[in-house]
Amino acid sequence: MFSERERERYKRQMILFGDKGQEQLKKAEIFIAGAGGLGCPVSLYLAVAGVGTITLVDNDVVELSNLNRQILHYDRDIGKNKTASADEKLREINPDITVKVVDTTINATNIDRLVGTADGIVDAMDNYPTRYLLNETAQKKNIPFFHGAIRGLYGQATTIIPGVTPCLACIFPNPPPREVFPVVGVTPGLIGMVQATEVIKYLLHDGKLLAGRLFVWDGREARAEEICIERNPACPVCGTTETISRKQRRP
Amino acid sequence: MTVKVRFFARFRELLGTDIIVDAPNGSVFSELVKNVARRNREGYAAIFDENGEFREFVILMRNGKRVELADAAKVIVADGDELAVFPPVAGG
Repeated sequence: MFSERERERYKRQMILFGDKGQEQLKKAEIFIAGAGGLGCPVSLYLAVAGVGTITLVDNDVVELSNLNRQILHYDRDIGKNKTASADEKLREINPDITVKVVDTTINATNIDRLVGTADGIVDAMDNYPTRYLLNETAQKKNIPFFHGAIRGLYGQATTIIPGVTPCLACIFPNPPPREVFPVVGVTPGLIGMVQATEVIKYLLHDGKLLAGRLFVWDGREARAEEICIERNPACPVCGTTETISRKQRRP
Repeated sequence: MTVKVRFFARFRELLGTDIIVDAPNGSVFSELVKNVARRNREGYAAIFDENGEFREFVILMRNGKRVELADAAKVIVADGDELAVFPPVAGG
């Protein structure tokens, strides 16, 4: 059920989704790993769309050099935990949802507990080791995993449905070398919107997901392409799992 | 025969994209890409290691299908093929 406030707030999208769709968003919990370049726009737009519970995890402190892209953090937040800064903005922009933040580093020992029973995991990380951990957890718990990554004016995104699509380790078995990557805020903004759109579509059971397709954005050329991706039967993460009986899990 | 080589992201910045190559029949994937990559030293070094092997994170596709790095030296390309070479991006 929705309050009058909620009805008014979501009026324009409920034309699209109806009560049922909005209810599906409201009862969902989305886990967002990272409150940086991708995590800020993803959490902001999922919050205003009315995703009922947003859990945001990050271990960092806001720095001046983050502010060209991490749009939930303001100049006054420098030195604050990113989770505290994000928590404040998300609650302000939509008090009708629940925001949970955890100030910690995602690692192999805490990831199970952190993800809990979320309906989706958003990859808003900046490194592959943590992405691989999220990917494994998504596979193990049968939770969809919304991958995004950027560099400069380039970005990529895909939606990983355990048992159905290739997993992150099928697509990228080896990470690129670590670097201080160049970035301008518009790129994580754009890729974050692709991820958030995927989350919403998934929760609404609507449209065609980026499943088995890698979306590749070249902002320099203003070209978006997609690359067909396939499961690797020998994948160490998902290759040996029994998949036939698994179904696309939707909340 | 004519083959199109497409680079993505950082590789594209260094080497350009949609490069049409006139290659002899029987050319193999890895050699063909290597010849194209030689046009820019930095581009070559981004894709190949000091032994001339593809760096392990490089993703190869032929006509939209994944080619394993280990197979790239065996895959013979055909006229009209489109080869894609790209690095995963890591930032967030």
